[in-house]
Amino acid sequence: MTREQQRKIEGGIALTFSTLAALLGLFWLVFILGDVLVHGIKALNPSLFLNDPSPPGTEGGGLRNAFIGQMLITLCATLIGVPVGVLGGTFLAEYARGTKIARVISVLADIMVSVPSIVIGTFIYAALVIPIGHFNGWAGAVALSVIMIPVVLRTTEDMLSLVSWTVREAAFALGAPYYKVITQVVYRGAATGILTGILLSIARVAGETAPLLFTSFNNSFFSWDMNRPMASLTVTIFQYAMGPYDDWHKQAWAAAFVITIFILMLTILGRLIIKWRYS
Amino acid sequence: MEVQLVADRIELEVKGLDFYYSGNIHALKNINLSIAKNNVTALIGPSGCGKTTLLRCFNRMHDLYPKNRYEGEISFNGVNTLAPETDHIKLRSRIGMVFQKPTPFPMTIFDNIAYGLKLRGIKKRSELAERVEKALTHAALWDEAKDKLHASAYDLSGGQQQRLVIARALAVEPEVLLFDEPTSALDPISTAKIEDLVGILKKEITIIIVTHNMQQAARISDWTGFMMLGELIEFDRTDKIFTAPSEKLTEDYVTGRFG
Repeated sequence: MTREQQRKIEGGIALTFSTLAALLGLFWLVFILGDVLVHGIKALNPSLFLNDPSPPGTEGGGLRNAFIGQMLITLCATLIGVPVGVLGGTFLAEYARGTKIARVISVLADIMVSVPSIVIGTFIYAALVIPIGHFNGWAGAVALSVIMIPVVLRTTEDMLSLVSWTVREAAFALGAPYYKVITQVVYRGAATGILTGILLSIARVAGETAPLLFTSFNNSFFSWDMNRPMASLTVTIFQYAMGPYDDWHKQAWAAAFVITIFILMLTILGRLIIKWRYS
Repeated sequence: MEVQLVADRIELEVKGLDFYYSGNIHALKNINLSIAKNNVTALIGPSGCGKTTLLRCFNRMHDLYPKNRYEGEISFNGVNTLAPETDHIKLRSRIGMVFQKPTPFPMTIFDNIAYGLKLRGIKKRSELAERVEKALTHAALWDEAKDKLHASAYDLSGGQQQRLVIARALAVEPEVLLFDEPTSALDPISTAKIEDLVGILKKEITIIIVTHNMQQAARISDWTGFMMLGELIEFDRTDKIFTAPSEKLTEDYVTGRFG
């Protein structure tokens, strides 16, 4: 066998295996998404969005409480997590650039990103649920924001670091003070990346169940009150999927469908922004 | 120094300047020179000789980094800019700077030029538009840019970007413009345009240019300073430096014996 033939065979084997691996991954992805899609669409109906749950075992009702709860908790988590993450990332990339403390915080944030979310849930349980005496929506929002902060912080830091230092110097040379250099020049250069990071971090926390189970828990009734237990789609899916009623299973499928589409949209939006900016 | 400048034509005067990076690296040693108003002064010398370091003393860019230290004096129309009470922001609005690589901001061409003006509190749309046009015309970029003022500055070519950056610096009407190897990243045609521009601009402002390219120094400058190892070896009229330098080191450098 000549070397060319041997190389061709080796190439063929590598191609076959990597294609198979990709197909295997793709199969499960399509399977899961397809399943959610088929079952979810079947279970979708306007009542799901307009009504609150009916008593267990009775037909009908909806998940209005969980949609609103999910929205409120995610929104509050974003409002807490994004400013802290962006400002923290700015501190690391700008004011503390190159210092020891910046490196330590960076590494800690990386570790935080991979901490299991249930650990964060139990931590917030100890910090915000036990002292208050009952589950509450704020604790859920804080738990999600704690998951968000390191993601946003690291993305912001990385994106700001990508803006070349000479651009900052050019702004300084025009007589700009540092905070204006950051807010008017550097943020602009990094805006797309930071925005994408924020969207992806929202997508990440919107699908979390474990931290909410320990914090906002669940509520069968409609509520705007963040001081009380609050329903969320993910916890509802968990509870309903485990429940004994067919109607609950159907609603869990519908909820899974809605939240999957929501996360998919956020992710696609994030990608579109990148594409639109860098094309 | 044989050639004495008439006092009222001196824009900047460096007296006994020593500069230390991070507290102890002695990068400039007892520099003395005078920069003539409405002239082009070139700083040449081998890599690491301190020419860029000296350039960045004029607008106090070194103050952006901790522990850098100046000793001596740079007198700007009679006022010592190295004094601790100097307002860097005001100083930098009077002494502009253009860098080696083009540094457009991530915004439109218009906003790039308007940036410095807005920093100075100019908000009126009509005044901004007028001064942006003036600056772009000044930097010989108006004809190429007038139809895409609201396109991203990154759409311009490298040479155009460098002229954009010059226009941005000119928009705030500085008295002095510092150029740090402004053409080293550009092609010959763009380089020629920038050199022509320097010749035109000196009618109104004082220019100091650091260059690696000796032909460039010879072509565009009126005065040349030759530096080596942090010292100013010789400072004189450009034609004298390139034809009859007084120092042996200068002669060796300009004739290409080292560097």
